[in-house]
Amino acid sequence: MGSLIKDSTTSSVLDQLNKRFEPDELTEMVALQKEFRIFSAKHSLRQSFALLGIVPADQAERKRWYRFLDEQLGTYKSDLANVNGHDRVVKAVKDGLEAAQPLPVFFGVHLASEDPRVTVTRGPAVIFSFVTYSIVSIPITPASLARQQGAEAAKKRRTEKSKK
Amino acid sequence: MSLLAETGGTSIELGNEILSDVYSNIEAYYSARVAKYGATPLGVDWSCQATQSFRFVHLLRICDFSAPFSLNDIGCGYGALATFLAMRYPESTIDYLGLDLSRTMIRRARRRFSSPGQRFVVGAASPRIADYSVASGVMNVNCGFSRSIWEGFVATTLREMRRTSRRGFSVNFLADATHAEMSAVPSVESLYRTNPEPWIRYCERELRCCVETVDNYGMNEFTLLVRYNQIAAT
Repeated sequence: MGSLIKDSTTSSVLDQLNKRFEPDELTEMVALQKEFRIFSAKHSLRQSFALLGIVPADQAERKRWYRFLDEQLGTYKSDLANVNGHDRVVKAVKDGLEAAQPLPVFFGVHLASEDPRVTVTRGPAVIFSFVTYSIVSIPITPASLARQQGAEAAKKRRTEKSKK
Repeated sequence: MSLLAETGGTSIELGNEILSDVYSNIEAYYSARVAKYGATPLGVDWSCQATQSFRFVHLLRICDFSAPFSLNDIGCGYGALATFLAMRYPESTIDYLGLDLSRTMIRRARRRFSSPGQRFVVGAASPRIADYSVASGVMNVNCGFSRSIWEGFVATTLREMRRTSRRGFSVNFLADATHAEMSAVPSVESLYRTNPEPWIRYCERELRCCVETVDNYGMNEFTLLVRYNQIAAT
């Protein structure tokens, strides 16, 4: 997300996720999870989301989205020790749907510069509702910032090279 | 009020001309869907593979998987049920026949499957009698027809399923929409929604079958498991 895929794709995927896991859809999601164990250690997020039809419409963006889920998210840290970002998302959704009192899930993002970990909290997710959600937040680096950081890193490398 | 309610669940007959019109509209609708979305759940109007498969789980409760059986899949689309059967019941021997009004759908299905136990034909009614028949989502999109005509189509389809099933058949319907759903989905008028009761009555009285209703499975819909009524037959 952010530097890897387009802003519009990030927005669209978050929208799809939040519609799929909103309170009105909770009963259906709980039933699907019970029947198929969609979210489990056996399945990658790419597989689980694809099964729910949550994918970018654009084919090129779809490949980047898969790369983000398959390659990048697993390299992120999370708010749980020894659990990477990918597995943390799986666990949050699984726990939310399989709880005695299932919780809707809200997917959001935060700046990686403020907290580089995938975090999961509980509480109201939107200002117009008091419903308690499991809130999954993914760290992102905005594309413009990522480009700027990349340029600065390249400049630094060039400078160091010329000194040698 | 629907024709079904007016007639108290008695015979609902559509003339051949109207029925042909209904069939050709259904054919055009689903051919356009698969042309736009390909052989995917969206191509047959389901939101995703998970919900599509979940419906299969409930429909297939009509089948006894402990022995080989034959199955007619009415409105088979691109053959998603055939895929599901192979994945979920790899050990079972199932003589599968998929039927669909859309030639485009059947072409897609034939391209995906080629084993002798899986055949696909274009048509509304099965050319053979099988142990069971299932129909998923066939009754949902009314293609702009009035409620009374659409219920005539539903009744005809159920009658044909009864005629071509040796042991039983199953079918799902969208349940009556809540007010929130009616407001949220602009296209809701093109969907046929109903209570289970009229169709239970229809299957019991007209088709002389036993009906088991499956609902409360997390979706705003229900599945009817319709079995041949042994008592009525004797």
